[in-house]
Amino acid sequence: MISDSPANRTALNATRGSSAVTLKNWFSHAAESHILFPAIAVLVLAVIWGTTLNLIKVERASAEHSASVSSRELAETYEAQVIRALREIDQTLKLVRYAYESARKHATLSDLKAKTLLPPDLVFVVSIADNKGDIVASTRPPEKKNVADQEYFESQRSVDALSVSRPWKNKVSSEWQLQFSRRLNAPDGSFAGIVMIAVDAGYFVSGYEVDKLGEHGALGVLGTDGVFRARRSGDSITAGDTVDYAAVVPATDEPNDIRPTINAWDGVLRYTSARQLYDFPLAIVVGLSEDEQLAAARQNKRTYLWRASAASLLLILVVSVLGRLSRQLVLSRQREVEEQVAHAARVEYLAYHDGLTTLPNRSLFSKLLSQSINEAHRYKRRLAVMFLDLDHFKHVNDTLGHESGDQLLKEVATRLKDCLRESDTVARLGGDEFVVLLPELDEEKYVSTVAHKILSSVAKPFILMGDEFRVTASIGISTYPQDGLDEQTLTKNADNAMYLAKEEGKNNFQFFSEKLHANSLERLTLESGLRHALEHHEFELHYQPMRDMRSGMITGMEAVLRWHHPDIGMVVPTRFIAVAEEMGLMVPIGKWVIRTACLQNVAWQHRGLPRLKMAVNLTLRQFFDENLLADLTKILADTGMDATLLELEITESLLMRDVEKTMRVLNGLKDRGIRIAIDDFGIGYSSLATLKQFPLDTIKIDRSLIRDVASVDEDKDMTKAIVAMGRTLSLTVVAQGVETKEQAEYLRENACDEFQGFYLNRPVPAEQVAELLQTQSAISDTDANPAD
Amino acid sequence: MKRTMSLKNCVHLIVIGLALSLRAGAAVAEVVAVVSARNPVTATLSNNQVVDIFLGKASRFPDGSQAVPIDQSEGSAVRDEFYLKFTGKSPAQIKAHWSKIIFTGRGRPPREVTNSIEVKKLLAKDPNAIGYIEQSLVDSSVKVLLAQ
Repeated sequence: MISDSPANRTALNATRGSSAVTLKNWFSHAAESHILFPAIAVLVLAVIWGTTLNLIKVERASAEHSASVSSRELAETYEAQVIRALREIDQTLKLVRYAYESARKHATLSDLKAKTLLPPDLVFVVSIADNKGDIVASTRPPEKKNVADQEYFESQRSVDALSVSRPWKNKVSSEWQLQFSRRLNAPDGSFAGIVMIAVDAGYFVSGYEVDKLGEHGALGVLGTDGVFRARRSGDSITAGDTVDYAAVVPATDEPNDIRPTINAWDGVLRYTSARQLYDFPLAIVVGLSEDEQLAAARQNKRTYLWRASAASLLLILVVSVLGRLSRQLVLSRQREVEEQVAHAARVEYLAYHDGLTTLPNRSLFSKLLSQSINEAHRYKRRLAVMFLDLDHFKHVNDTLGHESGDQLLKEVATRLKDCLRESDTVARLGGDEFVVLLPELDEEKYVSTVAHKILSSVAKPFILMGDEFRVTASIGISTYPQDGLDEQTLTKNADNAMYLAKEEGKNNFQFFSEKLHANSLERLTLESGLRHALEHHEFELHYQPMRDMRSGMITGMEAVLRWHHPDIGMVVPTRFIAVAEEMGLMVPIGKWVIRTACLQNVAWQHRGLPRLKMAVNLTLRQFFDENLLADLTKILADTGMDATLLELEITESLLMRDVEKTMRVLNGLKDRGIRIAIDDFGIGYSSLATLKQFPLDTIKIDRSLIRDVASVDEDKDMTKAIVAMGRTLSLTVVAQGVETKEQAEYLRENACDEFQGFYLNRPVPAEQVAELLQTQSAISDTDANPAD
Repeated sequence: MKRTMSLKNCVHLIVIGLALSLRAGAAVAEVVAVVSARNPVTATLSNNQVVDIFLGKASRFPDGSQAVPIDQSEGSAVRDEFYLKFTGKSPAQIKAHWSKIIFTGRGRPPREVTNSIEVKKLLAKDPNAIGYIEQSLVDSSVKVLLAQ
């Protein structure tokens, strides 16, 4: 929401520049919602409460002011009213006196009354007393018949002034009353009595209006003697109580601003105004109850406080809800960002790691290697690159399935890591290929130590699908700087060294060497040549005869592949078959061999030569090629070759790879009438029982046994045993590599069926075969002994 | 027409008066507000209009002519009855009312006469006068204000 968007910050940065770093920091801090919201809330609260309290203060001040003002105004009005009322009374007294003194009779009052010169007798009772105090005339029946004992009567004897009596309570009406009186003079100036006006005290406070003065206001007439002549508060009228006059009525003009004071007479706090009346021994008192005058303000204060509280609560509620929401938003954004970062990290991880083993992959390894090369260069150090390939891994994959293969790879990865130091790196390049980087070679031995360790570690049995499995590894090693200065050279050379290790019988490690470099060059030449050899018709078949041991007659031919490389000339199969097999070229080449051999065989027959067995070698790839049987069927059909004349040779080791699959293929071959021979027999470990289950026709004793068959006893025994076994299984036994007469003799004695080898049987081109056969038939005609 | 109406109202008043006097429990004669028979006021006056004239709040009849209220002596039964009946106020309240009027200088209480006979005399003399008398003393010299 209002959080620190980068745009905001940039804008701020741009406008403020670097000088206001602290300000910028402050801004970005403040912009965070969890600070901003409470800050705004506090600010608004401060405004709300500030305004409210100020309003209350102002209202109170205004209420106080208006109470003060109205107290003074009321006092002014009241003062005028009281003075007028008093003057009226005094005027009446003077009028009566004048009339009395003029007429000298008591009937004055009724005359005056008849002329409505007297005030209304509802309120005022006018009476005349003679010099003895006897009431001689009155507008109403007098309360007392004689007033001689009254203070006001006595005082008028000596002084001619308006007398205001102390209040007393009328016994009949129980109202407080006041008596105003003046002296009457006889014609000689002597005291003739008094004229009196009795008034209810309430008359002087009848102007009390609840609207203005409230229920607890005060209105009163106070004598300078400190005795209240009349006092009213609400509806209650009283009189006669005494107060300290000086304390109530200020000597000077009252101040503009009246402060509330506690009234001594009833203990009520009031805005009190008191004024001494001009010309009368009286003062008026007006009081406004502080409580009532400020009630509205107090009520408003309560209302304002309540409103402010409600607003504060609401604000806090809203802010906390907003804060919560924004917090959640921030959190969810944070989460989102974290997820994105995690995702990016994951993507990067995946890009640089092998999914299966979690080892670094080729890209990461390549990075690390070039980095390590740079460091090694800078610090004049050496480093080593090890290429590692599992031997027979494909076999595991083929027989146990990919899941087991994957499990094996994982296990191998773990073992490899365990063999290495922290600073070393192992990466998986793909398939069963691993590569190890040893970036720091402290001592010469370390590389071979690690290689040994790896070999023995990998060689330990694996448990896959509940069975124990063993695999081995072949390792090729190149070192910096002697085997290469750059990444490509080092890896290529390690790779080549690994191939050497494979060729050296696997489960070993090899250092790269210049010889290997040469080999690898040759290999490169072969690889590139092989790709086009077939289409460039560079292959040729030679044929090596097989002869019957006894008659010496040629019984068949073994097709032998020759490659005429345009640059390096004739290449023998041992040099390129393995390469072709690895390159996956052996299947098409093999097909070409079979087809060519078949065509040749049929051609010979057409030329009238004898029907000969035609033996062709099958490599592992060819044998397990899914299309083998279909291809053979087609070749036989295309060439018109008699299937019974075709003999396919497979190696002994191939039989043991996948018995079930092998059996299936072999049976397929037998179904088509094709003969099956086991090549290079005798060096593997096949038992008689194993051999028995396969539908075989021929076994060919390996040349290594034959080489020493005439001299070494063990080989003799072995050969004998093989021949015997072949007999037992009704197999044709062929001896390979027979090169001497002695060997041939021995074999013949031991009932071997056929033989091959340079003794009489060098491989020859097709065209020489016809010659050979013709020569042979000539020989056989003359001499049945082939030994010559 | 007018007479029938006034008769009806008369009966009405009597009934109310009876009820009031019974409640007051005093053997006070029924009091009615009256004007001179010569007074041109024909319309009935409401209670309030009569009260306003007697309490000094109005000085004219509804037709605009001067109204001169005549009171009876303070303390007389007919006076107390009149005020109680027409204003619902006690004599003390009436006195307080006039005290205030006089004190603030806004008026004087009505002129007082001693009894209903005097009232009638004054009414006979002054067509603008308005007073109250006992019902029993009503005669052709006066017109009863059929106050409601």
